[in-house]
Amino acid sequence: MSKRPPKVIVTKIGFDGHDRGSRVITACLRDAGMEVIYTPPWQEISTVVKLATEEDADVIGISSLATDHLIIPQLMKALRDAGLDDVKVVVGGIIPAKDEKELINAGVAKVFHPGSSLEDIVNTVRSLAESRTHSEV
Amino acid sequence: MRMPVEFRIEDILSRDRRAIARAVTALESGDERMHAIRFSVAEHVGHAHVIGVTGPPGGGKSTLVSVLIEALRARSLTVAVIAVDPSSPITGGAVLGDRIRMGAMQSDDGVFIRSLASRGHLGGLSAAAADVIDLFDAAGFDVLIVEAVGSGQSEVEITRYADTRIVICPPGLGDDVQAIKAGILEIADAFVVTKADLPDAARTEEQLKAMLALRTDQSIVPPVMKTVAVSGEGIAQLVDWLCAREHKGTRHLGSPANAARKLLSKLIRADGYARHLGLELIEASPGSATVRMEVQAHHINFNGRCHGGAIFALGDTALGLACNSYGRIATLVDGQISIASAVEGGEWLVAHAFEVSRSRKIGSYRVNITRARNGQYVAGLHGTVYLLDQSLQVEGS
Repeated sequence: MSKRPPKVIVTKIGFDGHDRGSRVITACLRDAGMEVIYTPPWQEISTVVKLATEEDADVIGISSLATDHLIIPQLMKALRDAGLDDVKVVVGGIIPAKDEKELINAGVAKVFHPGSSLEDIVNTVRSLAESRTHSEV
Repeated sequence: MRMPVEFRIEDILSRDRRAIARAVTALESGDERMHAIRFSVAEHVGHAHVIGVTGPPGGGKSTLVSVLIEALRARSLTVAVIAVDPSSPITGGAVLGDRIRMGAMQSDDGVFIRSLASRGHLGGLSAAAADVIDLFDAAGFDVLIVEAVGSGQSEVEITRYADTRIVICPPGLGDDVQAIKAGILEIADAFVVTKADLPDAARTEEQLKAMLALRTDQSIVPPVMKTVAVSGEGIAQLVDWLCAREHKGTRHLGSPANAARKLLSKLIRADGYARHLGLELIEASPGSATVRMEVQAHHINFNGRCHGGAIFALGDTALGLACNSYGRIATLVDGQISIASAVEGGEWLVAHAFEVSRSRKIGSYRVNITRARNGQYVAGLHGTVYLLDQSLQVEGS
């Protein structure tokens, strides 16, 4: 029986198109041995839910640089409604401290700010993915 | 925390998206549920039209698949897509980027897209691809599109699993000598010159047609079609051609392994003694079968160990399935067992039977029985079977 590599979706929801950050993270997770589904920016919440369902993703990474993080609580609700509350969500980008609390309350597992080390991101994503797979029977 | 949803075969057959996704993961990971899924879907396959799309990286496979999905949906056909991308040979990581070009279909419930990483598997697909194809087929999708890893010249594995093979040839890749080389160009049921609005397209089309004219066998000549995904040019003709093909479900006629699986899963279900012992078939191919058993209270002897008769019955069942896997009745006339290790209750044993020789009347088979936990050798069985001149009659289920 082989363990599968963590399966991660890296995406952006909302109207901002600055995707350099999500591309850097995609390459970095790939080099850490993960299977990464990369999407272009401007995804709808329903699309991310369908993507996470069909791909059986362990972790969803949302990049937000221009207030798109404000709709992440809606994404969390949509994931719960689809029965995907075991899928972990992490957020990276420009997130004001007062909003971070709100995101964590909405169920986001971790928020990464500018200056976060790639090593920290890789380790967090990996342990979140493993905690999801290990909860399976 | 809520436990994740387990999938049941009924959920897969009723096209529950989450159950399907979970089952694909199990098939990919090769965990113990893989065998159960494989056998429960085996009898529901053969309805979908499986279309393989292969060709060079950057040649326009994903883009073509994307417009194909739209065109097939417009004809009310449900579509599942298996998109295979390469895994890194160094880290094992992968970027699965095919579905980003399939943007328009992201919210359509009649479309299911799953990306698979090749995970070191050569041949253009992933090790699980064949099982995933069967799963989507059983789930009742009308059309399955399998997009292989961007292929050079010899990644022809798709040939075995697709009913229809499309090889894409974007313009401007090499001269006419490339076109007569052996490899993927030989397996095509149709050639599609993608990006046909580029100036070199007409020349590529000519080279392909010239290559086809040189073939010794001219009984079936694959068509060469030109498409422009952005304008939709040529797509309707391609879909017309696909829909008119009568090769739907034919891949299974050519797969002896699948036929053996189907037959043996019926046989073991029809076997009252195998049911009594709780035997489970986990793999089958012509001339071989693998069966497992959990040692339970009713298998235990007076000494508190697994009864030798139960071990023999496990091995004999695997042997019986292996020698009957061709559909012709075979019956054991002589068998010897040697037992190397005592087995406790609660252990799982696996019996793998394989053919040593087979002539017109006589077959010789060996069975290795091992512990599932660590592969340790427990017992070996050798048997001689007599082959009758009759075909097996099993009730269809």
